[in-house]
Amino acid sequence: MLTRLGLSVRPALAPVLRSTIRPTSQIAYRSLFIKTIPQPPGNIIGTVNDAYATPPPKVFAGSRHWTFERLVTIGLTPLVVAPFITGTSSAPIDAVMSSLLLYHCFAGFENCIADYIPARVFGVWHSAALGLLFFGTVIAGYGIYVIETTNNEGLFGLFKKIWTKQKN
Amino acid sequence: MFVLPTARNYIRLAATTACRRASLLRPVVVPANAVFAKRHITTVKSSDSQEQSILVAQRINRPLSPHLAIYQKQLTAVLSGLHRITGVALAGGFYAITVAFAAGSILGHPIDPATLVDLASGLPAFVDYSLKAIVAFPFVFHSVNGIRHLIWDAGSQLTIKDVYTTGYVALALTAVLGVWLIVY
Repeated sequence: MLTRLGLSVRPALAPVLRSTIRPTSQIAYRSLFIKTIPQPPGNIIGTVNDAYATPPPKVFAGSRHWTFERLVTIGLTPLVVAPFITGTSSAPIDAVMSSLLLYHCFAGFENCIADYIPARVFGVWHSAALGLLFFGTVIAGYGIYVIETTNNEGLFGLFKKIWTKQKN
Repeated sequence: MFVLPTARNYIRLAATTACRRASLLRPVVVPANAVFAKRHITTVKSSDSQEQSILVAQRINRPLSPHLAIYQKQLTAVLSGLHRITGVALAGGFYAITVAFAAGSILGHPIDPATLVDLASGLPAFVDYSLKAIVAFPFVFHSVNGIRHLIWDAGSQLTIKDVYTTGYVALALTAVLGVWLIVY
């Protein structure tokens, strides 16, 4: 059948290719610990005649998500730079900086999960990773509250103390 | 291939004979030296599941994208990769610190910054500066390159030449500001 389709491998090359080329489903994703979902050949789902099914629209996705992330980053830039220039910060300003930084980190991790732990391949582990990230973000948010209420200059002050080894 | 005389094929047969009759009305001039090549066309009957298996076989034979490692290392790709790696590392550190303070508070053993200062003071100078470098350079690079990304997002500095120029500026600023931060 393959010969008729012009897909046959030349006899001279066949033993070489057989030893080096493995089916795509085995090459695409290898995981040491987690059993991944085997992908269809060519990573194409369905038959020849299936129309593309568009994913359901989400309100907070796509361009709005992108714009929001940029706005946070633009707001974050002066708040991060200013303490280094003035050499000091205050708890309220530092709290705003830390909160924006927390969202920035959260969004970054979210993108990494979408890229490296996709639901298509990792199934329930994708949701587990996102869940862990949400949980960790809530705890980290409380951590920021603790830092801002116990340090005069907040997170920046904490770093400054350790960096310059001054206990005041 | 033998054609079974089904009702559908009779209709086709009738249609073709009608065409032949029509063409017979017109004079057909055949050159004396015309060569009639015999056409070798064979058709294969296949079911839907067989077609699917053929498709699967074709898809397995499609070329794969080459692995990242075979590409030449270029400033564009390297800085892009570094931006994400430093970002993940810094975010991991940020989560570790904030979660540690939260856990300490929840579990009744709040972290005292003075203890951390004592710990840092006890470090040998070489270790101290090395640790500072490990924190400072990724932080400065991610910040500077983040501003570079914002400039791109505003639609500026998008030609290859500009991307290289801003890339070298980002690296130079990282070196200078990183050293400044280490001796801060």
